[in-house]
Amino acid sequence: MGTALVLLGFISDLWNGTIGELWDSTDVFRTQYFDFGLMADEFDPVLNGFWYTVQLSVISGVLSLALGLVLAVLRQLPGRALAPVRGLTIAYIDIFRGVPLLLVLLLVSGGLGAFALEGVIPQEIGIPRFFGRPDPFWYGVYAITLTYGAYMAEVYRAGIEAVPRGQMEAARSVGMSHGQAMRYVIVPQAVRKVIPPLLNDFIALMKDTSLVSFLGFVEVVQAGRDVQSEFFNSSALTLGAIMFLVVTIPLARLVDRLIAAQHARFERGAPGLEAAA
Amino acid sequence: MAPEEATSEWAGAGHSGPMLRLEGLHKSFGDLHVLRGIDLEVAGGSVVCVLGPSGSGKSTLLRCVNLLEPPDEGRILLEGKEITGGGAGDIDYVRRRVGIVFQQFNLFPHKSALQNVSLAQEKVLGRRREEAKGKAQALLARVGLADKMNEYPERLSGGQQQRVAIARALAMDPHVMLFDEVTSALDPELIKEVLDVMRELASEGMTMIVVTHEMGFARDVGDNVVFMDGGVIVEEGPPAQLLDSPREERTRRFLGLVLEH
Repeated sequence: MGTALVLLGFISDLWNGTIGELWDSTDVFRTQYFDFGLMADEFDPVLNGFWYTVQLSVISGVLSLALGLVLAVLRQLPGRALAPVRGLTIAYIDIFRGVPLLLVLLLVSGGLGAFALEGVIPQEIGIPRFFGRPDPFWYGVYAITLTYGAYMAEVYRAGIEAVPRGQMEAARSVGMSHGQAMRYVIVPQAVRKVIPPLLNDFIALMKDTSLVSFLGFVEVVQAGRDVQSEFFNSSALTLGAIMFLVVTIPLARLVDRLIAAQHARFERGAPGLEAAA
Repeated sequence: MAPEEATSEWAGAGHSGPMLRLEGLHKSFGDLHVLRGIDLEVAGGSVVCVLGPSGSGKSTLLRCVNLLEPPDEGRILLEGKEITGGGAGDIDYVRRRVGIVFQQFNLFPHKSALQNVSLAQEKVLGRRREEAKGKAQALLARVGLADKMNEYPERLSGGQQQRVAIARALAMDPHVMLFDEVTSALDPELIKEVLDVMRELASEGMTMIVVTHEMGFARDVGDNVVFMDGGVIVEEGPPAQLLDSPREERTRRFLGLVLEH
C-alpha cells in the first residue's frame, strides 16, 4: 500500500514536471491540428465534402475499371489487321500514364465548356450536370477516368499476360473465337489475379479526387481549406485526413488479406501444377 | 455404349478416302526448322501412335493438324477437304472436327469439371444449357468421373484432370482426336486410368493420333506407329513390325534407349 502511494506520487511529480512541460510545449501544435472543438463545430461541412469525395471516387472508380478493361482487351487483339488498334491503344495508355492528372483535369475543364458553347460538342457532354451534380464534379470524373483507365489497363494487362498460354490454346482448340476465349476463359482468370492491385489503384484514385478542388469544387480537402482560411486553424483538414483513413486503411487491410489468400492458394498447390512447373 | 453405335457416332460420314491426309508439311519457328516435309495418311477409325525423341517435331505436328500452329508449307486434308487454304473458315471447320488433349491438361481453373465440358458446347455449338449439361454429365460418367462433376480442377488429381480434358474435347463431337503426350505429366499410378479411357475410345472407332512414350499403348492400341526424328517421319508401320524389327538404324537406337531403362 505504501509502495503504491510512493509510486503514485512519483508519477504525479513526473507528470507535473518533465512530461507535463513537454505536453504543454506541444500545445500550439495540438491546437493547430487537433482542436476537437473546431472539429466538432465544422464536422458537418467536412463530412459533406467527404461525401462528395466518396461519390467522385466511386463513379470515377467504376468507370476507370471499365475503361481499363476495354483498353487492355483492345491491346491484346490478335492479327496484323488490328495492329493500328493496338498501336492507338498503347499510345493512349502511354499518354495518360505520363501526364499529371491535374494537367488533364485543367485541360478537360478548360476546354469542354468552351467547345460546348461553340456548339462543337453537345451541351450535356461539354457542360455536364448529370444527377444534379455541377460540371466541375463531372470534369473531375472525366479526367480521373481518362487517367486511371490508363493505369488500370496496365494492371489488367499484367493479369491477362499472367494467364498461362495453354488456356488460350485450350479455348481455341474447342472452337472458341479469340473474343470468346478472352471473355469466358482469359479475362475471368485475369481479373481474379488483379483484384488486389486494382484496389490499390482505387485507393490512389480516391486520394487524387482532391485535385478536383482546383476547379473550386468543395470536396473534403476544399471543405477543410475553407475552414482553415476562416479560423487560421488546420484541424478541419486533419478531420478530413481521418475520414480518408477510415476508408483507406480497411481497404489496405483487405488488399493484404486477398494477397495472403492468393499465396495460401498457390502454396497449397493445386494437384497437377507441380507436374506442370 | 455399344461399339457399333459408337462407330457410327464418331466416324466421319459421307466421304471415302483417308480421314486425314498430310502432304509435305513444313513448319519453322524463326531459324528453327521443326517440320521438314511430313506426309501421312490416317484412315478413318484408325489409331496412329507417334514416337520420337523430344524435339523431333511430334507436338508441332499435332498442333499443325488443328491449326494451332498453321503450317508454313504443305497441305492438310480433313475428310477430303483442304484446311490449309488460308480461308477464315478453315479454323472453324477444323476446331469443330478435331479435338486435342494437351500434356498439361489446360483445364479452365475457374470452372467446375461440368462447366469445363459444357462451356464450349453452349458458346461455340450454341447448344441449350440443359442439353450441354446433359451431354457433359454423360461424358464425365463415361470417363469415370460421375462423382466429380462439380469439383474444380485444383481439387482433382492429374489423372482426373486429364480425363476431364478428354471429355471436354469429346463434347464437341470431333471426328479426329489428337493426344499430345497426355500421360507425360502424370504420376505413374495415374497413367493407367487415362490410357484406359483412350483405349475405350479407340475401340469405339474414334480416329486418333497419339503422341506418346507409352510403348505398351502403341503396341496394343495403335493400328500404325510412326517414328519421327529431326522433323521427318523416319519410319512408319504396324506396331509389331516397327517396334520389334525396325528397318531404320535411328529407330532401332531410339527404341533401344527407351526399352533399356
